[in-house]
Amino acid sequence: MTTAEAAVRDETVEVWDGRLRLHVKVAGEGPPLLFFHPLSGLAWDPLLGQLAARHTVYAPEHPGTSPGDPHAISQVQTFWELLLGYEELVRELGLDRPAAVGQSFGGMVAADLAATFPRLFSRLVLLSPPGLWLDAAPIPLMQMVAGPPEDVPNYLFAHPESQAAQAAMALPADPGLIPKAIAQSAWNIGCTTKFAWPIADHGLGRRLYRVQAPTLIVWGRQDALIPVAYAEEFGSRIAGSQVEVIDDCGHVLQADQPERTLAAVSKFLAG
Amino acid sequence: MKVSVAEQVPYRFLPDDFGEHNSSVVTAPYEVVDPGRMHESIFSAYAELMHAVRAGFDGIVVTEHSQSSYDISPNPTLLASAVACAARAEGLDPAIAILGRSLGKTREPLKIAEEYALLDCISGGRLIAGFPVGLSYDANLNASLPAIETRDRAREHRELILKAWTAPRPFPWNGRYEKYGQVNIWPRPIQQPHPPVWIPGTGSPGTLRDILSNDFAFVYLSWDGPKLVGRQVFDRYWDMAEEMGRDRNPYRLAFMQVVAVSETDERAEKEYARHLMALYHSGLGAIPGTAMAVPGYAEPAAIEAMLRGGGPDGMLARMRTATYQEIIDTQVAIVGSPATVADQIEAFVREFRIGNLLVMLQNGSMPRDLTEKNISLFAAEVLPRLRPIWDAEGWENRWWPAATVGVTAGAAGGAAAAAGTEAR
Repeated sequence: MTTAEAAVRDETVEVWDGRLRLHVKVAGEGPPLLFFHPLSGLAWDPLLGQLAARHTVYAPEHPGTSPGDPHAISQVQTFWELLLGYEELVRELGLDRPAAVGQSFGGMVAADLAATFPRLFSRLVLLSPPGLWLDAAPIPLMQMVAGPPEDVPNYLFAHPESQAAQAAMALPADPGLIPKAIAQSAWNIGCTTKFAWPIADHGLGRRLYRVQAPTLIVWGRQDALIPVAYAEEFGSRIAGSQVEVIDDCGHVLQADQPERTLAAVSKFLAG
Repeated sequence: MKVSVAEQVPYRFLPDDFGEHNSSVVTAPYEVVDPGRMHESIFSAYAELMHAVRAGFDGIVVTEHSQSSYDISPNPTLLASAVACAARAEGLDPAIAILGRSLGKTREPLKIAEEYALLDCISGGRLIAGFPVGLSYDANLNASLPAIETRDRAREHRELILKAWTAPRPFPWNGRYEKYGQVNIWPRPIQQPHPPVWIPGTGSPGTLRDILSNDFAFVYLSWDGPKLVGRQVFDRYWDMAEEMGRDRNPYRLAFMQVVAVSETDERAEKEYARHLMALYHSGLGAIPGTAMAVPGYAEPAAIEAMLRGGGPDGMLARMRTATYQEIIDTQVAIVGSPATVADQIEAFVREFRIGNLLVMLQNGSMPRDLTEKNISLFAAEVLPRLRPIWDAEGWENRWWPAATVGVTAGAAGGAAAAAGTEAR
């Protein structure tokens, strides 16, 4: 990529009658795009930089995951309240029908926002989200979150040894910073799993028919966390949606297949 | 002081190398179980507790764990109820301590209020009500409740249970986690205003402050013995008690200790070492560290402090590979002749001001006959040395059940009911 990395700035927005301050990372120029991060928290990875080349990217941090504000999560009691907070955020930011991209846990959030508020988003991109359940394709969320840390990369990546996967899992080089990083990461997962535990199914499957925004669903064929069978499940429930399955690719699409992921997302957003 | 026998309910016939290949919780494979041996494991726990009651211990103590091979006690009130009924029928009145039903794990807190109240009625007012938050694996994996809500859920449940016991009239409960249109439980506890409350914990400052401000008793259930972390946890407790204007009444503090006693030190090691190591290698030591702290269960500051080595440096993380000598040297288990055992216990009891001692006398693969020997020897030769420790200071044990319904020797049915009527 040749585009210069856009500067990332922090904004805070008060929602929920002033009880909740949402921290939002903002970068880039162009039409607005909301990015909803995965279970582990917001990491400004190359995909976000690339999206910021053509959009103004707004990436809210899930309540409680912003460093220094761990107890914000207690203001959000239910998944329904989380959705209301984000709908309010879009209005407070003054965004007019932004595009929405949601990854994994964030994809479930984006999909439910689009189903609950059908006119909220202009376009919707779902990167291998949970939110549905098939007995024939169980999602080992609990096994990953509560299992041995050394097993986590095997759930997330088709190529755990790749540079991008290693970068995504890296701890700070300074050993003195590692305890804080591990504590933050564990707490982030505590804050997100509050709405995804033990099974991330809030009845989204019964609401998805309400989605009106043009929708792209992207999945890695070798996804070991949320099996690729769910790509078709989402696709069949959202009228007119496109499903793109990427070969040789695990759950974190942009780590295993960065070019193909970006190409699929960019093409859809430009269309 | 008061000395009670605490029992967990391990499956006693695990293969020696069980802990090398398996977790003892959540995923513990049931294929290793033989039904007859499961019966023996569970029934022995009941029989041993009754043996302890007859031998003169002040109380019995049971705990709750689900989906576990080291404590097969998904509802400890079942076992405690059997002991309470049988003891009553023999004219005995041990305290019945449940440590307890886990408040952060339950989906039915009123069941706990009802079961505890029922036990208090069955036992004639001998219940000690333990209110633990619950271990992470139990609340967040077995019961599959979101980790980040565990403590808040426990807080609400405790409040609800205490109100269900004490409110004079039916009331509605509109909680964050529970909603009931009308709470009006039958029976309610005999003890007034309610049975003594013990809070098991590992000694975090927040827990200790909560215990002291509510005037409950703290039960340190660490498995680590007094030596490694006692100084840190107990000093913190008594310092905080002083700060908060509470007295230094030793009965504010209960402590659990693994003990094995035989005629001589040599004989004790020979008889018990193998069985004890089954507890550490295949039971406690086979609980994965990740299962003790599912993300969200502990505050970020607490995790960071632990990773920086600011927390108690106990044995739990090392138990799976610990040697017998390490277990003994650290006093994780106290093993030896009656004199050896009594000396060691008396020293730490006095040092840390422990008023309620809970001794674990069955551990790991110990069979019933050996356990009953341990119980008998402890009762005959160690207990008499421990009982009078705090007598000279003259404290009142306000955290011990007051029997309000007298025991009638050999009474059953109508006779027991009559005794109850008189006492009221």
